[in-house]
Amino acid sequence: MSLLTQYDADARSVRRATRRFLIFAVLITVALVAAIFIRQGLLRQTVSYSFVADTAQDIAKGQAVRIAGFRVGSVTDVDLRDDGSVAVNFEVDADHARFVTHDARIELRKEGLVGSPTMEIVPGPDKTRLAAAQARLAFSRADGLGALANQVRDEFVPILKDIKAITGALADPQKGLPGTLAQIRASSEALNVLLANGNRQVEGIGSTAIRVLGKTEEDLTHLGQTLQAANQRLPGMLDRTQQVLDHVEKISAEAEASVPPALRDGSAVAADVREIVGGAKQTWPISSMIDAPAPARLKADSDPRGEAGRAR
Amino acid sequence: MRAELAIMLALLLGACGSTPKQVDPPRLRAALEAESDGAKRYERGDYVVAARRFAEAAKLHASIDDATGVARNRLHLARSDLVQGRDEAALALLDATDAAGDAGFALDIRMLKAQALLGLGRTDEVRNSLAEAAALCAGACPRAASLHLLQARHALADKRIADALAHADAALKLLQGKDEAAETGNAWRLVAAARHASGDLAGGLVAAHAALDIDRRLALPEKIARDWLLIGDIQRDQAATEAATAYRKALAVAQAAGLDAITMIAAQALQDIGMQKKVD
Repeated sequence: MSLLTQYDADARSVRRATRRFLIFAVLITVALVAAIFIRQGLLRQTVSYSFVADTAQDIAKGQAVRIAGFRVGSVTDVDLRDDGSVAVNFEVDADHARFVTHDARIELRKEGLVGSPTMEIVPGPDKTRLAAAQARLAFSRADGLGALANQVRDEFVPILKDIKAITGALADPQKGLPGTLAQIRASSEALNVLLANGNRQVEGIGSTAIRVLGKTEEDLTHLGQTLQAANQRLPGMLDRTQQVLDHVEKISAEAEASVPPALRDGSAVAADVREIVGGAKQTWPISSMIDAPAPARLKADSDPRGEAGRAR
Repeated sequence: MRAELAIMLALLLGACGSTPKQVDPPRLRAALEAESDGAKRYERGDYVVAARRFAEAAKLHASIDDATGVARNRLHLARSDLVQGRDEAALALLDATDAAGDAGFALDIRMLKAQALLGLGRTDEVRNSLAEAAALCAGACPRAASLHLLQARHALADKRIADALAHADAALKLLQGKDEAAETGNAWRLVAAARHASGDLAGGLVAAHAALDIDRRLALPEKIARDWLLIGDIQRDQAATEAATAYRKALAVAQAAGLDAITMIAAQALQDIGMQKKVD
C-alpha cells in the first residue's frame, strides 16, 4: 500500500515538473519571437518613400538610409522598370520622418571617399512642409574617388602638354638652347682665335672684331628670345600646377580617414611637390625668368549680389 | 694692343648697358603671390579661399611694413566679405582700414562702406559715406560710374525714384564702351527697378532683361536669380501667369546654385500669386 502511495506522489511530482518546464519553454519561445520581431523592425512604424535612379549600381536591398549620419531606415525594394530606370523604395522610422521635407533629396554617398555606399537624406530649404508618405524624392550620386580622379586627370593633361611644348622648344637643336649655346660657343671660339692672333693681325682686326661682336650679340638676342618664350609660358604652367596640387591636397585630406595607408602618402607627396614647385620658382634661373605678380586689381562691382533690384 | 683694349671696352659697355633683372625680396614676392592667387580665386567665384589668401597677403605686407599692400589687401578682403553677404564683417574691417595716404584707397573705403551699409539697410549712414566719396571723386574720377550706381541704390532705398533713375542713367552713359560688364548689369538692374517703381512697366521689363543678359554672360547665379525675381515683380503688375514663369526660373536657378535665401523669396513670391511651387 505504501508503495502505491509513494508511486502516486512521484508521478504527481514528475507531472508538475513537466508542466513547469513546458510553460517556461513556451515563455522563452514567445520572448525569442518578440525579440526577433523587434530586431527586424517588424513592430516599428515606418513611412515609405521612393526615388528613381539611372542605375542600381551601389544600391541594394537592406542598405542603410541615414539622416545626418544616423541610420533611420533602409532600402526595401529595388526594381528595374520598363523604361530601363530603377525604382527604389525605402522606409524611414516614423519618428524621423519629420526631417524628410517635401523638397528633400536622397544622395548616394561613399563612407569616407572609398567606403561602402550609403543613402543620405538631405532635407531641403523649405522646412514648412513635409514629404507625404510614398512621395518620390529627387536622387543624386555624390562624386566618388573615380570621378575625382578623372577631374584631376583632366587638369593634369593640359599641364603635361605645356611641359612637353616648353621642353620641346628648349630642346630644339636649331632654335632651342642647344643650338643657341653651340652658336655662342662657336662665336667665343672665333673671339679667342681673334685675340690670339690679335698682335699679328692688327691691321685687319677692326672690321673682323666688329663682325664677331655683331654675331655674338645676335646669338645673345636669340638666347634672350628663347628665355623670353619660356618666361611667358612658365608662370602660367607653374600656376596651373599649383591649382592642381591644391586639388590633390583636398582630395587627399578627404581620403585620409578611409583610404588604405599606402594611399595616405598622397597628401605628403602633394605637399612635397608644392614645396619643389615653390622652391623652383624661387631658384635661379627660374626666379629670374618669372616676374612677381603685380598688385591685383579686382573688377569694380558696386552690387556683387544683385540686391538693388529685389533684395528681399 | 689698342684693338684688344677696344674690344674689352666694347664688352664692358655692353655688360653695363644690359641692366640685371630686379628680383623682388622673397617676403614681398610671397605677399604678391598670395594676393594674385586670391584675385584669381575671386574671379573664379571661390570667395571663401580668396578671402583667406587676401588675409594672408595683408599679414605678409604688414610684416614688411608695407602699408599700401596692407590697405589694398584689406579692401580685397572687404569685397570678398561683401560678395558673401558678410556686410557686418566688411564694415568692421573697413572701419579699421587705413588708406595709407592713398586717395584712391580712401575713395574705395567710403564706397565699400556705403555698399555694406546699403546691405544692412542703414540708409541714413549711407548718405555720409556717399557724401565723403563724392568729395573724393570730383573731376575726372575713374570710379564715377560706380559712385553713381551707389547713389542710385541709395535713392531707390529712400524712395527718391527720379534721383535713382537719373543716377543710373548717368552711370550707364559713363560705362558706355568700357570693359565693365558687372557694373553695366548693375546699372540696367537699377534702371529696371526705378522704372518699375515709377510705373513704367514696359521700360522696366526691357531694362531687367538687359541686366539678365549681361549677368547670364558673366554666369553669376545670384544676380541671375534676382534678375528673374525683378522680372517677375514687374510682370506681376501686368499679368500674374507670366510672373509665375519668371519666379519659377528664379526658383530653379536659386535651387541649383544652393541659394537658400533667394529660394525662399521665390517660393514665397509664387505663393503670393497663388501658384504652387513645382515639385522637383
